[in-house]
Amino acid sequence: MISRSRSPVVLFAAVALASLTGLRPAASAPAPAAAAGTRTLDDYRHFRIASIDLVGRIPTRDELAAFERPDFDWDRWVESHLEGSAYVERLTRIYMDALRLEPNLNFTAVPSQLYRQEITGPDGKPVHVLYRGGQRRLRESTDGDFCLTPDETGLVVRPMAAAVGTPKKTSKKALDTYTVEVKPWWLYRDYKAEHPTERYKQGWANPDPQFRPVDALLDEPNGKPTMEVRVCREEAHEAPEGHIYASGRAKPPPTSSPLPGGRAKAAPVDTAYAIKHKGEAIACDTREGLSMAVDCGCGRGLERCTPNSGTGDTPAFQYPNHMPLGPDLPLDSAGQSALRWYPYWWSREAVHFLGYLFAEDRDFREVLTGKETWVNGPLAQFYKTVQRGACCGPEANFGMHGETEPLFDPARVPTDLLPHDVDRWERVADRGAHAAGILTMPMYLEKYASARARAAAIYNDFLCKSFSAGQAELTPSEDPDLTRRPGCQTCHATLEPLAAYFARVEPASYVYLPESLFPQKAATCKKDKAGKMNGACNALYDVAFFDDKGPTLRSAHASPAHASAGPVGAAADLTRMPEFASCAVQRVTSSFLGRPTTADDARLLQSLTKDFVRSGFRMRSLVRGVVLSDEYRRANDDRVDAPPVGTEAR
Amino acid sequence: MRPSRGFLVASLFAASLSAGCAARLPEHVQAVSLPSPEVLGVTAEDSAPKADLRMIPPEAYMRTYLQLFGGLAPLDAQKLARGKEGAQLFDNWDAYVSALGFADYRTDIPRLTQTNALMVATFERLGVALCDRAVEHDLRAKPPMRERAIFAFDVLPAPGVMDEGAFGARFDVLHRTFLGYPRRLAPAARTTRFFQLYRDIVGMHRTADPKSRFTPEEAGWAAVCYGLVRHPEFHLY
Repeated sequence: MISRSRSPVVLFAAVALASLTGLRPAASAPAPAAAAGTRTLDDYRHFRIASIDLVGRIPTRDELAAFERPDFDWDRWVESHLEGSAYVERLTRIYMDALRLEPNLNFTAVPSQLYRQEITGPDGKPVHVLYRGGQRRLRESTDGDFCLTPDETGLVVRPMAAAVGTPKKTSKKALDTYTVEVKPWWLYRDYKAEHPTERYKQGWANPDPQFRPVDALLDEPNGKPTMEVRVCREEAHEAPEGHIYASGRAKPPPTSSPLPGGRAKAAPVDTAYAIKHKGEAIACDTREGLSMAVDCGCGRGLERCTPNSGTGDTPAFQYPNHMPLGPDLPLDSAGQSALRWYPYWWSREAVHFLGYLFAEDRDFREVLTGKETWVNGPLAQFYKTVQRGACCGPEANFGMHGETEPLFDPARVPTDLLPHDVDRWERVADRGAHAAGILTMPMYLEKYASARARAAAIYNDFLCKSFSAGQAELTPSEDPDLTRRPGCQTCHATLEPLAAYFARVEPASYVYLPESLFPQKAATCKKDKAGKMNGACNALYDVAFFDDKGPTLRSAHASPAHASAGPVGAAADLTRMPEFASCAVQRVTSSFLGRPTTADDARLLQSLTKDFVRSGFRMRSLVRGVVLSDEYRRANDDRVDAPPVGTEAR
Repeated sequence: MRPSRGFLVASLFAASLSAGCAARLPEHVQAVSLPSPEVLGVTAEDSAPKADLRMIPPEAYMRTYLQLFGGLAPLDAQKLARGKEGAQLFDNWDAYVSALGFADYRTDIPRLTQTNALMVATFERLGVALCDRAVEHDLRAKPPMRERAIFAFDVLPAPGVMDEGAFGARFDVLHRTFLGYPRRLAPAARTTRFFQLYRDIVGMHRTADPKSRFTPEEAGWAAVCYGLVRHPEFHLY
């Protein structure tokens, strides 16, 4: 089920790079072309525009020479270029221009984020210690905090800001008791081994070229190579499950009492849930595993966590800012924050997915309906563990303490991909029951963070429709239902039912809210005297749509049926609409013609749409039809003496 | 004391304003239908798709550029282009990315489909860097012809020997390289104009003081290269 072959997109990119770098022989001297005299200027122009579109650049002299030969077969040339990296890039660009699936955001899942604090060792030299913010610990003086107290280090350590205080020597006893040295995944290829030896750029001689930790993660403060990292003991726990911890602290200490160890804020108190479920097992890669267990850590080689090179937003890995020609041909490289590590790979996943659809000439409807995806090491790490840290906050109040129906089932993630396998992509044939093409990929869900934004994006990009306000008179209204409110309804009558498809995917997140725990109406959510609900209810349910059964699930009011159907239902319904095919045809045709289509293109579009549907929604068939059309041949020909469409010989 | 002129004007204004704003019901205009206007004539509307100039996408421009630079990766081409002159000839790709019109998906900036002054200046800068390095690689170092991406011909030793025929054969190589078709199909005067450019540059360089780093013939061909790499046909579909 899981293919181990390298991504065809990568293979095509490698071939393209080889052809780019393996020089074609230049013409030795101006030689008369055999059939050059028979080609018209329009023929050359046509060949040039087809080269730009299907090869990705203008033709070389050798390619021109081949074109001039009497045996040049235009149809065969076009056919041979309806595959390969340039073709894939050409089509991917059309949809990336529409969807813009690149991140401008930071992402952190608290259970997976390691910060690094510099303290003073017993010999007076600086020592780096990795830790997680909010980690539970047995000592009251460090519970929920850094594992060494301010009394021991002289510092009040804060995950998102510089430490406060005057550093002092930390005793060897404290270091040995509360921290431990580990060989982590970003330094060792064989981090899972009993005694890892393949250190980055030493025993590990050929790491993936795109996997480059910043120098700060590779070297000690004294400049020597880092062979092990020092981490708080709790973070070094490897088991996938821990146990719910109750400290016995039922309430915070009086504000007048000094806090133990010199800590700045009081240790966490036990929640009712922790007291009730003390000692029960809990998954370590959830938010609750971090906040409720002292024996939940980052796993073997810290593989469930990603490092920072300091506190707050600090560089961790090097990768490009700009790579318009793909990651194999970057324009730069810079140390990037750990908070941008996963968003970067989410974008690559989306591009890889689109590239796969076009490279393999899949049914284009799979862009919305497809269950498959491609993942590499960081994405495997993300889907297997990191994404689980997004849950659960308010969801816990409804009985969900860990994701029960994730959009990407962690059990389907390839088990042999390690976090540093950035260049190795494997296909996952089926992400799970709720997977729906790009609609359930993190990049799409984060780029379009609300249900309405997600709905508007698919309305614009896959149905080629836009919302435009009507000329209705705006009378004052407090109707919360925008599908009825005057002036709003012209757009929202369509938008709200579409948005309802995403009601069960949390905004700015990818946590799926199963119907069994989150019914359409929440009878357990009550209004207080002021007409408001508590925080957890308010986060997930809308008090504006409250009736005798309770409040309505947010974004679901306009169509409970769509809310139940979810993104999978959206994909199925939208791809059945005739506008889906016509929009794809219009978008691709317009891109190749270099202009918006008009009423005069109706005949062409109709013919292309018919062929597109008949071919099973295959892009190759569509592009072939466009490139071989007279309209394409005549596109962008602004010469006054240009012959009309259909009158020129090929 | 007589009231001032300004006071009187202000008073009159205030009086008229209050009269206008006196409480009365807003006027309700009854809609009436109008007769259809008289048809004076009929003119056909041309709704046929209008072909217009279109720039090649920046991705295609960059791939072409790299191919002309010998098939190098962007960072290698950047290193070669900078050479000893550093930023005098070529800054870095980061500096050119937005000027070339690439889309920025992170910040939702769409790709540019029309030129602007900065873009044209960037084309010029990139073109000069390409041509200068090509002169050094192809004409000065004289590798085998199959290794010359641009100047795949020999420079004749003396300008007196370069007639329009000899120039034309060489110009055809460059014309195919940059514009994608033979010079015989170009507008009639193009070869003549470029030959004049070549001769002018060669003549100027013979008498220039201080001397250029290029020989007069190299400078002449560099100028022809600049003209073609900045030609609109190179940047358009």
